[in-house]
Amino acid sequence: MTELILILLILLGILALQFKDLLNAVICLAVFSLLSSLLFYYLHAPDVAIAEAAVGAGVATVLFVVIIGKTRRREE
Amino acid sequence: MDLSVPVLDVVIFVLMGISLMSMVRVIIGPTPEDRLIGLNLVVAQVAGILVVIAVKFDRSIYLDVALVYAILGFIGILAIAKYLRGRQLGE
Repeated sequence: MTELILILLILLGILALQFKDLLNAVICLAVFSLLSSLLFYYLHAPDVAIAEAAVGAGVATVLFVVIIGKTRRREE
Repeated sequence: MDLSVPVLDVVIFVLMGISLMSMVRVIIGPTPEDRLIGLNLVVAQVAGILVVIAVKFDRSIYLDVALVYAILGFIGILAIAKYLRGRQLGE
């Protein structure tokens, strides 16, 4: 289970780097933070998992989307 | 109540397989809308996995993580959906 989550984390990180449409990268980073929260949870650290879920799913995604709305969406 | 642990392990692996199938749509989805639907599915299924792991470990503090994730994941999905419709979150 832990190895599976780590392999998926590496895959999603590389995938988020190579997108030209930045909204796709934001969605991939949301799944990334979800999986890392699940990893912390599975390793018996629920307080770290709560902090990761609050920051990764709530604050960071909304912040990225607001900033994409104020600047350009596509990367040249 | 003695719910046997192998049953919970089987449930966790089935839910993990289902969320892997949903993650395929996040990875190969051609448009951002497809990826948003995949994200919504993965959030719901991982919240289920968190609850089942909380039952397996038999600690009530583990349920708080699922609660926080179910609330805050919805806010992120809402922000992306409102951006795709052409508005920001505060409008």
